[in-house]
Amino acid sequence: MACVYIPVQNSEEEVRVALDQLPRDASDILDILKAEQAPLDLWLIIAREYFKQGKIEQFRQILEEGSSPEIDEYYADIRYERIAILNALGAYYTYLGKIETKQREKEEHFILATQYYNKASRIDMHEPSTWVGKGQLLLAKGEVEQASSAFKIVLEADRDNVPALLGQACVEFNRGRFSDSLELYKRALQVYPDCPGAVRIGIGLCRYKLGQFEKARRAFQRALQLDPENVEALVALAIMDLHANEASGIRKGMQKMQRAFEIYPYCAMALNYLANHFFFTGQHFLVEQLTETALAVTNHGPTKSHSYYNLARSYHSKGDYEKSGLYYMASVKEINKPHEFLFPYYGLGQVQLKLGDFRSALTNFEKVLEVYPDNCETLKSLGHIYVQLGQIEKGQEFLKKAAKIDSRDDQAFTDLAELLISSDTSAALEAFKTARTLMKKGGLEVPIEVLNNIGVLHFEKEEFEWAQQVFMEALGDGIWLTLLDNKVNIYAIDASASILQYKDMQLFRRLEEDGHSVELPWNKVTVLFNLARLLEQLNNTEAASILYRLILFKYPDYIDAYLRLAAISKARNNLQLSIELVNEALKVNGKYSNALSMLGDLELKNDDWVKAKETFRAASDATDGKDSYATLSLGNWNYYAALRNEKRAPKLEATHLEKAKELYTRVLIQHTSNLYAANGAGVVLAEKGHFDVSKDIFTQVQEAASGSVFLQMPDVWINLAHVYFAQGNFALAVKMYQNCLRKFHYNTDAQILLYLARTHYEAEQWQDCKKTLLRAIHLAPSNYTLRFDAGVAMQKFSASTLQKTKRTADEVRSTVAELENAVRVFSQLSAGSNLHLHGFDEKKINTHVEYCKHLLEAAKVHREAAEREEQQNRQRQEAARQVALAEEARRKAEEQKKYLLEKRKQEDEQKRVRQLEEHFERVKEQWKSSTSASKRRERTENDEEEGGHSEKRRKKGGKRRRKDKSSRSRYDSHEEADMMDDQEEQEDEDANMNYRETTHQMDDQDDAAGENAQDLLAAAGLEDSDAEDEMAAPSSAAARRRRALSESDDDEQPNPMRDNIDELHDSDGEVRDDNDKPNEDAGFDDD
Amino acid sequence: MLKYETTYKEWKGTTLAVAGGGSASIKLWDTATWKLIASLSIPRPEGPKPSDKANSKKFVLSVAWSPDGRRLACGSMDGTISIFDVARAKFLHHLEGHSMPVRSLVYSPIDARVLFSASDDTHVHMYDAEGKTLVGAMSGHTSWVLSVDASPDGTGIATGSSDKTVRLWDLGMRAAVQTMSNHIDQVWGVSFRPPGGNGVLAGRLASVSDDKSISLYGYS
Repeated sequence: MACVYIPVQNSEEEVRVALDQLPRDASDILDILKAEQAPLDLWLIIAREYFKQGKIEQFRQILEEGSSPEIDEYYADIRYERIAILNALGAYYTYLGKIETKQREKEEHFILATQYYNKASRIDMHEPSTWVGKGQLLLAKGEVEQASSAFKIVLEADRDNVPALLGQACVEFNRGRFSDSLELYKRALQVYPDCPGAVRIGIGLCRYKLGQFEKARRAFQRALQLDPENVEALVALAIMDLHANEASGIRKGMQKMQRAFEIYPYCAMALNYLANHFFFTGQHFLVEQLTETALAVTNHGPTKSHSYYNLARSYHSKGDYEKSGLYYMASVKEINKPHEFLFPYYGLGQVQLKLGDFRSALTNFEKVLEVYPDNCETLKSLGHIYVQLGQIEKGQEFLKKAAKIDSRDDQAFTDLAELLISSDTSAALEAFKTARTLMKKGGLEVPIEVLNNIGVLHFEKEEFEWAQQVFMEALGDGIWLTLLDNKVNIYAIDASASILQYKDMQLFRRLEEDGHSVELPWNKVTVLFNLARLLEQLNNTEAASILYRLILFKYPDYIDAYLRLAAISKARNNLQLSIELVNEALKVNGKYSNALSMLGDLELKNDDWVKAKETFRAASDATDGKDSYATLSLGNWNYYAALRNEKRAPKLEATHLEKAKELYTRVLIQHTSNLYAANGAGVVLAEKGHFDVSKDIFTQVQEAASGSVFLQMPDVWINLAHVYFAQGNFALAVKMYQNCLRKFHYNTDAQILLYLARTHYEAEQWQDCKKTLLRAIHLAPSNYTLRFDAGVAMQKFSASTLQKTKRTADEVRSTVAELENAVRVFSQLSAGSNLHLHGFDEKKINTHVEYCKHLLEAAKVHREAAEREEQQNRQRQEAARQVALAEEARRKAEEQKKYLLEKRKQEDEQKRVRQLEEHFERVKEQWKSSTSASKRRERTENDEEEGGHSEKRRKKGGKRRRKDKSSRSRYDSHEEADMMDDQEEQEDEDANMNYRETTHQMDDQDDAAGENAQDLLAAAGLEDSDAEDEMAAPSSAAARRRRALSESDDDEQPNPMRDNIDELHDSDGEVRDDNDKPNEDAGFDDD
Repeated sequence: MLKYETTYKEWKGTTLAVAGGGSASIKLWDTATWKLIASLSIPRPEGPKPSDKANSKKFVLSVAWSPDGRRLACGSMDGTISIFDVARAKFLHHLEGHSMPVRSLVYSPIDARVLFSASDDTHVHMYDAEGKTLVGAMSGHTSWVLSVDASPDGTGIATGSSDKTVRLWDLGMRAAVQTMSNHIDQVWGVSFRPPGGNGVLAGRLASVSDDKSISLYGYS
C-alpha cells in the first residue's frame, strides 16, 4: 500500500496519506498541502495519483492550485517542481486537445497547453522535459517539423532522453522514415528497458511498416505481455492476424479485436476492423453502429475515410446506392492522395456506374487505374463504361487489355466477347472459346449462356456442325435427346387431323405416360430454341418443330416458338395452320408486332387485303410506328394495291404509289441501311420509269445482301433483271434471271422461268423461249397459261422461219412440226375451255388455231417446195458425188501408184540399211512402220474429199432461195399483222398469269377478242399493201417497247415483292431472335 | 409435249393407271385391248360452283398402285393425296399433310398399307393409307422432293430432289443415312431395281437428272 507523508510544518511529525484512499474532495488535501507548505513534489505525486485513479477533476484542481501565482511566489526558488507541474498541465491539455473532436475546443485546449509550456519555459529555458512537452504538443497539432526541432533541442543536450527519443521516433514515423524511427525506439528501449509498452508498439509498427512482420509481431506480443490490456498491441496483432489471410488467423484476429473492443470501446481502428468483419458476415446493422462510433471518436483522416468506406460499402451491398454514394464521397474527401486508400474510389465508381453517372464513374475508375494500371476489374469496368458512352473501340481496348493481363480471367474474356458480338463475330467467338477453355481448365462449369453464345456465333458463321455440338453440350442430358433420336416418331397421328400437326402436344403427354420425365429447365429454353432454329436451317424441320413444341408444352407463353412453327408451316404452304399458330401467339400477347406482321403477311397470301392492311396497321401502332417491318409491309401493301387496279384508275394508282414511296422513305430515314426499304423504293422508282436510279439502288442492295445466311434477297435479282429487261438489255436480263433461279430457287420457280421466257420472246429467241416455257410447264403442269404461251412461242417461231429469206428444207420441216404442235396445244386448250379448266376465251384460242392451221397450210406448200428442191439437190449431189467418187477412184489409183513407188523407194532404202546393219529384225520393224504411215495418209485424203462435197452443197442452197422470193410477200403481211396480234395476246397472257380473278379476266378477254377480230380484218384488208405494212411494223415495235416497260413492272413485280415479305419476315425474326439470345445473358457484373 | 400427261403412269398386270392431270382423275386403261376401263375422279370440294381455281388445285400429278393391286393413290397440286378402291372404282378418302404439289408416290413393297409421298414442301411423308394416319414426316431436302421409290426389301426409301441430291432414308431410324450429290441439276427420278436379279444386279438404284445423266448406285 503506497503512502505519502506530508511533513507537518515546524515539527517532526508527518501526515500519512494513503494514496489509494485519497479523499473525494481534493480541497481537503489541498488544504493540508497548503497549510503544511508541503514540498511541491508531493503535490505532483498526489495529482498524478488522482489522474491514475481517473479523478481528472481533482488532478486538475491540485495542479492548477500548484501553479497559481501564490505558489510561484512562495516556492520561487524551487524551479524544477514548478516546471514539472506546469508541464504536467501542459501535457494534460495536449492530451485533451488531441482527443477532442470539436475543432474550437480542440484549439482552446492546445492554447492552454501552449500557455503552460511557455510559462514553464520562462522558469527555465533549458528544461528538457518542457521541450519534450512542447514537442508532443506540436506533434498533436500536426506540426511535425517544429516538433522535430523541439525534440532535437533536447536530444542535443542529452541524447538518451527517453521521452525526446520517443517523440523524435514518432516524428520520423510520421515522416515515413520508419528505419530511423525504429533506431530511435530501440535506443529508447536500451536506455530505459522498463519503458511502457508503447515503445514496443512503436517498434512493432516500424517493423510492420518495414515489412518485418515476424519481428513486428514479437514486439506487439511483448507489449501485450507487459500490459495484457494494451489495446493498441491487441489491435495491431489482430490486424496482422487478419492479414495473414487464413481462416484460423482471421478468427484469432477477430477474437483479439473483440477483446480490444471490450477493453476500450472507442478505438477507431478496432471499430473499423470489426465493422469490416461484420460487413463480410453480413450483419449490416452492426457495421453501421460500429462505424458511426468510430467516426465519432476519431478525426484521423485515413481512419475516418475507412469508416465512411465501411458504411458506404454496407449500403452498397444493401443496394442503397444513393446513400452509399454519399458515404463513398465522404470517404474520398478524407483522402489526400488516392493511392493511400483506393477502395472508396472504386466503390464510388461502381455506384456511379449503377446510377448511370458514367462520366464521374469514369474519373474514379481512372484514378484507380493510375495506381493499379493492371487491375483487371478496373479495366473491365472502364471498358464497360466506354461501351456505355458509345466509345466502343476504347471499350474494346480496355477489355482486350484486361484479357491480356489476366489471360486466365474467364470473366474478362466473356465480357470482351459479349462486347465484340455486335462488331466482330469472329473475334467474339475466339474470346468466348478462350473463356470456355479457361473455365474448363479451372474446373468450373461453363455457364449455359456462354455455350449458347458460342453456338449462336458458330451459327452466324455458318459453321452449323460446330454450332450443333455446342448447343448440345449446353443442353446436356434431357428429354430432347430422346426426341432428337427419332424414336418418338412412332406415335402416329391421324392424317385427317394432320393439318394440326404443328400444334400437336399429345406426343409429350404420351411420353409422360410412358414414364419419361418431360422437363425443360428455364435456363435451357433459349438454347433449345436456338438448337431448333439451327435444325430448321439444316432443313431438319421435323426435329425443329418437335423442339419448338416442347418449348411450348412447358412454356406456353414463348411467342417466338409459335412464330417459328408458323413460319415452318407457312414455308410448307399450310396457311391455315400458320394463321392458327400466329393467333396462338397473339393470344399470349396481342400487341406483339412480329406476330401481327406475320399475320398480316399470311392474310395477304390468303388474298385478304382489307384484313391484312388492318393487321399491318395494328403492328405498326403496337410499336408506335418504330417497327420498320410493319411500315415496310404497309408500303408493300400500297404498292400491290396500286397495281391491282391495273389501268382502271390511274389516279388511284398514283396515290397508292406515292403512299408506298412515302412509307419506304420513312423506313429508310429510320434505318438508312434497310435493304428491303431500299428495294421497295427502287421498285417504286422503276414503276415511275426512273430506271437508271432504280438500277443503281438494286445493284447496291444486291451487293449488300450477298454474304449472310440470314439475308437472302432473290427479289432484288429479279428486280434488277426487270430493269435490264425494261431497258432492252435482254442478254443481261436473261443472265440475271438464270442466276437468280439457280442461286435461290434450285431452278424450281415457274414464275421466274416465265419472266425468262418473256425476255427470250422480246429478244425474238423463239426456241429458247419455247424451251424455257416447256421447263416451266414441267414444273407447273396445271398452269395452262404457260401452255398457251408455249403455243404462241411455237407459232412465232414458225412464222419467223417462214419469213426468213434463207431456209433449208430441214428448217421448214421442223417449222411444220412445230406448227402442228402449236395447233395441238391450242386445240387442247380450246377443248379444255369448255370444262372451265383455265379461263381463256374460246374465240381467241380458236383464232390462234385457225391462224396456225392457215400457216400450216402455207408451210406445207413451202415444205413441198423445199422438199422438191431438196430432192433435186440430192439428185444433183448424188450426181456430183458419183463424179467425185470416180474422181476419187482415179485419185486413189494414183495414190496407190505413188504409194507403190514410195514403197519401192523405201525398200531400196531398206536394202541400203540392210547393207549397213544386220538384217532380219530390222526388216520386220521397217515393214510395220511403213504400213501405219500409209493408213494415216489415206484418212486425210478422205477428209479433203468431204470438205469438197459440202462446199458444193452450200452453193446450191443459195440458188433455191431466189426462187422462193416471189411468193414471200404474201406471207409478210400476215405475219406482220400477227406480230401485232401476238403482242396483244402476250400482254393479256401476262395479265392472266398474275390476276386469276375470273371477272377481271373475262373482261380483258372480251376486249382483247374484240381487238383481235379487228386486227384480223385489218390484216385481211391490208393484204399486199407494203406501205401500210411498213407503217405498222415500227409502230408495233414502239408499242412493244413501251409495253415491255410498263408490263415488267405492272405485272411481274408484285410477285417478287410478295416473296419479299416472306424473306423479310424470316430474316427479321431471325435477327431478332438471335440478337436476343446473346443479349439475354450479357448484363454487366458489378464485381 | 402432249405425251406429258402420261409421264405419270403405272402398270399393274395389263391395267395401266394414268394420272389424269387437269381432269382431276385417274384413268385406267387395259393395255391388252387399249380401251379405257375406268375413270376414278377425285370428288370436287364442296362449293357453290366449280371454279378453275379448284380445278388446278386438284390437278393430278402422281399415281401409285398398292402392291396387292387393290388400292390406287394419287397426289395432286394442292398436296392432298386421294385413295381409291380399284375393285369398286370408288374414292375412299384423302390423306392430308402436304400443302404443296405431291409429285411422286410409292407404296411400300412389303406393306400394302404404307404409302410414301414426295412433295414440293421438301418433306417426305409416310402414311398409313388405310388408317388415314400420318406415321412420320422426314425432312432434310432443301428444295422440292421430286421423286420417291421404296427399296424392294422395304427397309429404306430413296428420294430425288431439285436440290440436286439423292437421299437414302432408313425407315428404322426415320433419317437420311446417305446423301448422294453427284448430280449437278434437279434429280427428277429415282428407282430401285425390281427384285429378282442376283449378283451385281441384285441391289441397284438409278437416278435421272436435268443434268442429262443417269446415275447408278449399288444398294445393299
